Amino acid sequence: MKKKLLLATLLLSASALFAQVSKPIEMPYVEYPIETGDHDEVVQQYCLICHSFGYVLNQGKKSRPYWKGTVQKMVNEFKAPIPKEDQQTIINYLVKHYGYEATSAH
Amino acid sequence: MDKFSRRNFLGAGLLLGASSLFAKETTKAIVNKNPEYIPPVVAFPEKKPMKTISDRPALLASNRGRELFTEAITPNDQFFVRWHLPDMPMYVDLNDFRLEVKGSVNTPLSLSVDDLKSKFEPTEITAVLQCGGNSRKYYAVTGQATHGVQWDHDAMGCAVWKGVRLKDILAHAGVKPEAKFVGLNGLEKPAMEETPDFFREMEIAEALEDQIIVAYSMNGEDLPYLNGFPVRLVIPGHFSDSWVKMLSEIMVMDEYRKSFFMDVAYTVPDNDCECVVSGSDFEYKRKPIAAMKVKSVIGYPLPESAIKKGSRVKIAGVAFDQGKGIKEVMISLDSGKSWSAAKLGEDHGKFAFRPWSYEWEPKTKGDYTIMVRAINRIGNIQPMPDEIGWNAGGYQYNAVDHVNVKIV
Repeated sequence: MKKKLLLATLLLSASALFAQVSKPIEMPYVEYPIETGDHDEVVQQYCLICHSFGYVLNQGKKSRPYWKGTVQKMVNEFKAPIPKEDQQTIINYLVKHYGYEATSAH
Repeated sequence: MDKFSRRNFLGAGLLLGASSLFAKETTKAIVNKNPEYIPPVVAFPEKKPMKTISDRPALLASNRGRELFTEAITPNDQFFVRWHLPDMPMYVDLNDFRLEVKGSVNTPLSLSVDDLKSKFEPTEITAVLQCGGNSRKYYAVTGQATHGVQWDHDAMGCAVWKGVRLKDILAHAGVKPEAKFVGLNGLEKPAMEETPDFFREMEIAEALEDQIIVAYSMNGEDLPYLNGFPVRLVIPGHFSDSWVKMLSEIMVMDEYRKSFFMDVAYTVPDNDCECVVSGSDFEYKRKPIAAMKVKSVIGYPLPESAIKKGSRVKIAGVAFDQGKGIKEVMISLDSGKSWSAAKLGEDHGKFAFRPWSYEWEPKTKGDYTIMVRAINRIGNIQPMPDEIGWNAGGYQYNAVDHVNVKIV
């Protein structure tokens, strides 16, 4: 009985070794194009803590209220540590390079 | 810009005599100021090169686009990927990994993958995994563009999932009578402690349904790392937001816990049509998205293809719904003026992609719009694009799909 159990344990650990991911994966790093100027360094400093710049690029151009709402969501919901004046800098940057001025939320 | 004719849609609606399930909202003028950004195509672990919408967290879509959706089963190496938080472990050691079952249970459990494989009855189900935001970009065709990453139809796939019934695990732990909810959490973590976890919840009655499984295998292989290795939750018929990846914690709870990813993200308006006037902001009472809506997608031909007159074209695609099963798929070759039944392919079960095809021999040169429309067994029919109810998050898009081709 003991022998059987031992064999079973050996077999089990062997199957674990054959798992497809048996060593750390290496995730590629993608350098997304980021428009420079208008304090892009502030944008990069805060936005890239949690997500790549792909999040900005793949939403299409958005209005000022949209980007304002998005930055507020990052601060209020996701607790991004962005001081007030930097929030305004980020909003202005996003509207200028990835948006447009408009009164409606979209 | 697609050449959609509103008049043709109205005609098709009359012809079918079927009204949309969604209350119709007035749509504003088309606003599409988005010159589309084309994401780079990059190879990730265990994946063919994928469109990389984001590398961190990883948001990946197959580079084959629609072509992926001519078959019932989506290959693992092309299956879409969508994580929510930036820090996922780069290695999961199966000797150390445990799925913890705790909270309002008689016996808390700490299960290894081997425990799951050896101590529980295995079960298999073929089911569609679809992101709530799949096809989101098409909301912009007839209304305002919505929030969020502008996914094409590529945030979905269908696989054979093998694993253990969630109800068997819960029975093993012994759920206390006062328990009302099951909370789920995985190994992905935020960059900062203050950021909410990707925490999901479901009512206990739902968690005990037969078809919900903790899966350790996908299409006969271990789960690909980026699809949630070593185990993930599978909730057939439901949008994928609660199919928690790298599932590490099942917390049985007596009370609902408010959380960002349940109460704010992945929500739709809490009214009958789950919709608001196009262009509204999030100023509405919300409820989490749950059951999927009947949907079909054209896999072939690809948009803007040139096809030689007289050639035989096999129009093909897939259809699916919330698990009632597809009853009929209809094709229109004249922008929705007339419809004919497509041939349904092999049935992989009521939660799976149902492949369909339609033989077409175009006899006249010119521009054609191919459309597809599915109906399920309880009579749910896809709305026309200008009929679909709009929501600010851009969730659960399921309007009639179309592809424009040129016969030359």
